[in-house]
This record gives sequence, C-alpha cells and structure tokens, in this order.
Amino acid sequence: MLAGFSVITDNLDYLLWGRISAGQPGGVLLTLLMAFGAAALALPAGIALAGLAWRYPGVIRQTLFAWAELIRGIPLIFVIFWMWYLLPLMTGGDLPGALTVTLALAWFTAAAVMHSVLAGLRALPVGQYEAAQSQGFGALQTLWHLLLPQVLRNTLPSLSGIFISLLKDTSLAFIVNVPELTTVAGQVNNRVQIYPAAIFIFTGLVYYLLCCTVEQLAKRITRPAL
Amino acid sequence: MFSGLFSSSAADAADFAHLAQASVTFCDVVKRYGDRPVLKGINLSVTPGEVVAILGPSGSGKSTLIRLINQLETLTSGEILIDGKPTRQLSRRALRQLRSRVGFVFQQFNLYSHLTARQNITLALEQVHGWPSAQAHTRADALLSQVGMADKAEQYPDTLSGGQQQRVAIARALASSPQIILFDEPTSALDPEMIGEVLLVMKALAHSGITMIVVTHEMQFAREIADRVVFIDGGQILEVAPPEQFFQHPSHPRARRFLQKVLNPLHQDAV
Amino acid sequence: MPALDWQGVLTGQPLQWILSGFLTTLWVTLAGALVASLLTLACLGLRLTGGRLGTAVVAAWVSLFRNTPLLVQLLFWYFAAWNGLPQAFRAVVMADHPWSVLPGNVWWFTPEFLCSAWGLGVFTSAFLTEEVTAGLRAVSSGQREAALAQGFSSWRLLRHILLPQGLANAWQPVVGQYLNLMKLSSLASGIGFAELTYQVRQIESYNAHALEAFSVGTALYLLTGIALGLLLTKLGPTPARRRKTNTELRSEEPC
Repeated sequence: MLAGFSVITDNLDYLLWGRISAGQPGGVLLTLLMAFGAAALALPAGIALAGLAWRYPGVIRQTLFAWAELIRGIPLIFVIFWMWYLLPLMTGGDLPGALTVTLALAWFTAAAVMHSVLAGLRALPVGQYEAAQSQGFGALQTLWHLLLPQVLRNTLPSLSGIFISLLKDTSLAFIVNVPELTTVAGQVNNRVQIYPAAIFIFTGLVYYLLCCTVEQLAKRITRPAL
Repeated sequence: MFSGLFSSSAADAADFAHLAQASVTFCDVVKRYGDRPVLKGINLSVTPGEVVAILGPSGSGKSTLIRLINQLETLTSGEILIDGKPTRQLSRRALRQLRSRVGFVFQQFNLYSHLTARQNITLALEQVHGWPSAQAHTRADALLSQVGMADKAEQYPDTLSGGQQQRVAIARALASSPQIILFDEPTSALDPEMIGEVLLVMKALAHSGITMIVVTHEMQFAREIADRVVFIDGGQILEVAPPEQFFQHPSHPRARRFLQKVLNPLHQDAV
Repeated sequence: MPALDWQGVLTGQPLQWILSGFLTTLWVTLAGALVASLLTLACLGLRLTGGRLGTAVVAAWVSLFRNTPLLVQLLFWYFAAWNGLPQAFRAVVMADHPWSVLPGNVWWFTPEFLCSAWGLGVFTSAFLTEEVTAGLRAVSSGQREAALAQGFSSWRLLRHILLPQGLANAWQPVVGQYLNLMKLSSLASGIGFAELTYQVRQIESYNAHALEAFSVGTALYLLTGIALGLLLTKLGPTPARRRKTNTELRSEEPC
C-alpha cells in the first residue's frame, strides 16, 4: 500500500494542475476551471430561460420543455460529441478541447437549471405575484426584484445538487482526452500500470472532497435563511 | 343497534386479547414534552360501557390524554390501567393486542389513501386479526351499511367528503369489535353541515355496551349523550360531573368561563 | 454544411456495428438495472431494520457512490478491483463459454460487461435508495398513526401502508434513475466496452462519417429513452391521488 502511495506523490503536481508550467492547465485545476466556467454560463442562461417559460406559457414554454427533453434525453457524452463537431463548423476555427467540453456542460446544465428555477417560481404563493401586479409592476421587474431573490434562496439545495453533478460530469472529458483530473489519472495509470487502485482511489477521494465541500457550503448558506 | 356487531374474539389466553372489563383508569398520569408539562397529574376512572365527554380549551392536554390510552404518546410518569391491568411496560406483542382491542378515530380521519373504503376496513381484519378474506369482506359491508356508506364501498377516500370519510373511519375502528373506542375531536375538521351525520353514527354507538371516550367541542353531543363530562384545563382535570349538572351549574370558575365563551361567545363578560 | 452520406453508416459493416452496439447497450442496461434493484432493496432493508450501524453503513454507501463520478468508479472497478479478484475466477471469465452469449451476439461473461453492469448497478443503487426513502418519508404521518392504532406490527405497517404509498410517490424519480442508467451506459465505452457509443466512435474512425453516426446514435438513445420511460411508467404504481377541494365536493353532494 505504501508503494501505491508513492505513485500519487510522484505525480502529484501533474494530477493537481497538469502541465501548468507549459501553459496547459490540467488535473484538478482544469476540473475546477471547467466546472466554474460552465456554471457561470449555465446559471444566468437557465434563469433567463426559466423566466421566459414562466412568463409565456403555451408555445414558448412547450418549445423550451422540448429542448430540455432533447438535451437531457441523450447521454451527456453525445452532447460533447455534437459540440466537438458543430462548433468548429460554426466558428470556422479550432477551439481548445477544454472550452468545447465546458460549453457542452453549460448547455446541458442550463436545461436542469431552467427546470429547477421554474419549479421554484411555480412553488411561490400566487399572492406574491398578485401583489406585484396590483401595484403595477411589469413582468421583468416582478421577476428581478421580487420573485427571483426568493426563488434562488429556496432552490439553493436543488441548484447545489446540479453543481455537484456538474463537477462530476467534467470527468467525461476523459472520453475526448481533455486533460482534467480523470484523464490525467488515466494517463498516469497507463504509464505506471501497477498501482491502479491507489490512483483511482485517490481520484475518487478528490472528487468526493470537492462534492462534499459544495454540499456543506450549501447547507451552511441555506440554514440562516430558514 | 350496534350490539350485534360485538362478537367476542376467538379464545386466546394472552394478556389483552379479550378484556374482561372494558375499564380505563388514570393514576397520577403526568406527561411532559422535554421541560414542558402537558398533563400534570391526571386521575380518572372510566367504567365499562360508560360514555365520557372530555371538554376543555385548546392546549389543555385533552388530545394527549386520550392518545396516552393506546400509547400513540408515552407516559412520563404515573400509570394507566385497562381492564385493571397496568399498560406501561407492555411487550410489543401485548401492545399490538391492546391496540387491536381499542378503536381510535382521528380528527383528520387518516383513512388509508391508496385503498378503497371497503379495503380500509378489511386490511386490519385480514392482516392483524387473521380473518379469511370472504369473512372480512362481509363484515366490512355490514359495517359500511351501518354507517350509511354501503354504496361507497369501492370508492377511494379522495372522492369522499369529510363527513363520509369520518364515517368510514368509524366503521374501520369498529371492525375488530373493540370494547373501548376513543374519539379525538372527530368533527373538528368537518364543515358544519357534515357534523350531524357523524354525530348520529356516534349517538347510535353510545350505550350499546362499548366504553366511549370522546374529546369534543360539540356541546350538544356532550349534553345529550355523555354519562359524564370531564373538564380539563392547563393539564389538570378541574371538574367531573354529569352533563345536566356541568352545563347548568358548573362549579369550577374556569369551567364557568369556558362555557360562557363557548355557549355565548358574543356576551362573554356577562356572568 | 458538408453533404451527409447516410448509406455510409446504415449499410454493411457500420450497420452491423450499430446493431451490435445497440443490443449490447440494452443488455447491459438490463443487467445493471437488475444489480441496482437488488442492491437498493438490500440498502433499504438495512436502513429500515439495521439499527444505528445499518443506517450508518447505508449512509456511507450512498454518500460514497453519489459524490464520485461514475467514470472514475468504472475505471476503479475495471482496472483496480478486477485485478483483486481471484486469478482462477478471472481465468474462467476470460475463457469462451457457449452459454456466455446473449441473443444478439452479446457476450456477457466478460470483464468489460461484468464490470460495467456492476459499476452501473452500484452507482444507480445509491440514487434509488435515496429516492425511495424520500417517497416513504412523504407519506403523511397520519397514515402511520392510523395503522399503529389498529395494532399493525412494524413489518405489516411497512408492507401494506408505507411501501405502496411511498413507492407510488417515488415512482417518477425512480423511472428517471433507470433511464439515467441507460444513458450512463455510454460511459462504459471508456473502459473499452463495445456498447453503442463505442461503436459510434468506431464508425467515425472507420469512414469519418461523424455527423451521420452521431445522429443515428442520438436517435437511438432518444427513442430507447422514450420507450423505456413509457413502459416503466405504465408498469408502476400511480402517484398519490389528488384530493378535490371542499367547494368542488359540496356542489356534488345530493341536495
């Protein structure tokens, strides 16, 4: 077991931040960059879409739901494949792999955020909206000043669950060889061959710590609001 | 009217399989939730076949009092005797036996929402008492007729009104021929026009041999049907008297104030 | 937009690969679902009857497998845990057996299939356990009290009152988890398991018909998901029935 430990320590900086010295972030660092990057895109997009779906029931809401079903009805890996092939066609150039995966993750996650925020909007007592209407607020104002602040606090557990999924889903970059933590761990395993248990247990542990930290933070934030 | 339904259960010599005397006695019963006392030394004796109405303001501990009888709540200290036998340290099996001999009707009806009216009655007969299904079926239908719900036997609770659900709940409680039946504010969750149908069922049940303890706000029921009225306030029994005496000449000042508020709400300050 | 050549993926060798991959996905989904269901039952049983230790064990199981990525779990099972199994067993699995082929020419007694099914099952069981527990908790406490007041034992209470209603509450999320399992089987391509995603990429490297191959794969996953969802919803209990409001009911009472 001690021998297994050494493979971790020998490769620790590669596992933690990839070839950062050569300008190529990797490992845990890249995992975090992709997760936060995707979240930064998915959160506003999802909230905006939820606002649209809430304000315009009927064709627009049905279309948004169909879009969400389409996205989440296929494996995430396929969303990544589609992005991988369509984005260069649309932008005419070559995008770095990590960016493509991040965009795919953001696209996929936005659908989940939309559902979660919409559920939160519909769970608010009708009286909140009616009070705003009776005072002459427009829809956008109502959402921005009155409803969303409440909804975002109420749906924080659900949103943090979505972020935890996002953190785990960055591991799919393994399939397209983008050097985040799982890919890097796989590379080390291919090279060293004899300590797979140590390598993958370490990898699992890192993800576990990241996810639990997010979970605990979310609990800490939601408690005072109760 | 209901006496024909009270056949005694099969011979089973265990503790509470059949009560020789359906009496309930509270001895210095105390109930606390943490530091908060809810019942402060209750002493009360209910004789077999008696109908006792328990009245009192909200928060007085009256619901807790009857929930202690079938141990939906547990005692902090004191003892409750049923059929003259202590019930505090019962084994799990003996407790289940006791509960199957004591019927309980809830304020919120608590019918099993995934079962039809008939199934609500047959389930315990088959699963707790081991009845064959044909016998349980017949018994359930007989009980549903007695409470006037025979045509709704195949309906699910969510299609029934509150009054209808409570009548089915009473039929369910009667299925195992209990010798003691407890009612925890049976009409408090009902719309006014449905209260009557439930009270009529309870009236038919009274004085048929079954011991009835009823926590209620229905003063007319207490006045007409009860043998004794127990007034409880602040966790203590303040007055026990036959209804004519209690309603016309209440002796305890708090009982007087309570009656004034309840019977004459717009003129509470008049004596 | 490049011209799409559907013939290139829907005939000959590529078609064989697609069919093989699709059937493999279906079989591993079934196997994984079986493992997941059995493990979930075990976890629920342990949680409900195992006392403090049982509850702690299940909580640790759920926490561990929900907070680590499935891919890392699969890599662990395939590269690390597999080698921990006795050599004799591994040799038996690696050898060819006439009974280790399922209809559609899918080999199930292989390290890849077994590790994939096991990994998918373990991962999904953690989620299923939580969904069913939530469904059980959502049953109103009055139901429990009514059953206790009638003298039901804990086991009969669970079987006749809590479980039917709890499962009905949880059925939609449970179906979602099984559908997830089907979609997540795509990750098994990462350990070289020849299911649909693996075969799609194989076509891509064979004749570079990436978009066509991805389209076929996408369509197959979508349709399978819809079909599976409908089937499971039909087979499952209906959710807790909605109560009508008092005003609706009163107008229906005979005068």
